[in-house]
Amino acid sequence: MSDDSVPLALPLPRLSAGSAEVTKLYRELRKPLLRYLICLGLSNDEAQDVVQDAFVSLQRHLSSGGDQKNIRGWLFRVAHNQARNRQTSYDRRFGKTLDGGMDFLADSATPEQVLLRKEKLRRVAAAIQLLTECERECLLLRAGGLRYREIGEVLGIATSTVGDTVERAMRKLAEKCNV
Amino acid sequence: MCDVQGKLIAWLDRELPTAEANEVERHIEQCRECQRWVATYGHVSETFDAYCDAVMVAKEPRRVSRWVPVLASSLVAASIMLLVLLRGRVEPAPVLAPTVATASAPVPAPSLAAMPGPRKPTMRRRHAAPRVHRRATEVQPMDTAIEIAIPAEAMFPPGAVPDGINFIAELRIATDGSVKQIRLRQ
Repeated sequence: MSDDSVPLALPLPRLSAGSAEVTKLYRELRKPLLRYLICLGLSNDEAQDVVQDAFVSLQRHLSSGGDQKNIRGWLFRVAHNQARNRQTSYDRRFGKTLDGGMDFLADSATPEQVLLRKEKLRRVAAAIQLLTECERECLLLRAGGLRYREIGEVLGIATSTVGDTVERAMRKLAEKCNV
Repeated sequence: MCDVQGKLIAWLDRELPTAEANEVERHIEQCRECQRWVATYGHVSETFDAYCDAVMVAKEPRRVSRWVPVLASSLVAASIMLLVLLRGRVEPAPVLAPTVATASAPVPAPSLAAMPGPRKPTMRRRHAAPRVHRRATEVQPMDTAIEIAIPAEAMFPPGAVPDGINFIAELRIATDGSVKQIRLRQ
């Protein structure tokens, strides 16, 4: 696996607690973090709390002169651990039906297209439930824009294991979803 | 099945070292099966992303219906109207100004019992007990003042004082009906 990581849109000089860069970082990473946490099974409110706590922890981390090599991975790891503490049964909630959440599909499609896309998402939801916890988390973090090395740091597994897990999970989804 | 197939996702994710990535890319250009798998993985990734977005939208707090502000303002307006109506039914508290009465002599001094005592305000409001109490203290009547004109000839023997001279007696009545002060002036 290559070690080059996709840089954040935000250039990261030496961050300091309370600096404008941290505010920019918040704007850039808030939504991916929220999406990751919500997909893990947290409620919207819980996810908002966890994101806020993660950034408070970041402030403390920076104030105490903590490592700034991989702030994005660090934030996801903190959020992931806090989510684990808050929600012990999130895996059961992941992939539940989304009838209430597909209204946005109707914005730019015909009713037939909406129906097809809904059906496709339902198949994905069913397939996701067949994945292992590690596979789901790898795919979620990958969808959040993290590199394999960063995913490994968040989940505490080797980078090569992340590659294998992602590949296995994608193949399972492709077989089950028939996309 | 191609040997390269296991590297396709890593290639898509740009996780392969440059040399290996170039090799995989050259293979994909020639291999129909790998091209199909690359397209499939691309679709799976997109669908997974769409699924994550749908989960996020599903868990977002529900938007407030456009009728809610209308209903809320109607409720506020109705409450204000009700309040105004209720206030209109409360009898306004009497403001007791000093009563000045001028009587021509010889008039017997009015008995204190006949004097109008301080009037207790009548409150019809039912629900605002503390407010009623406060109002009652606010409308404490002021002292009543009475002026009595007394001709001088009624007080002195005839001829002792010139005709047409009157004395004015000013009485101040306290709230409990007793005479608080008497002042005599000419």
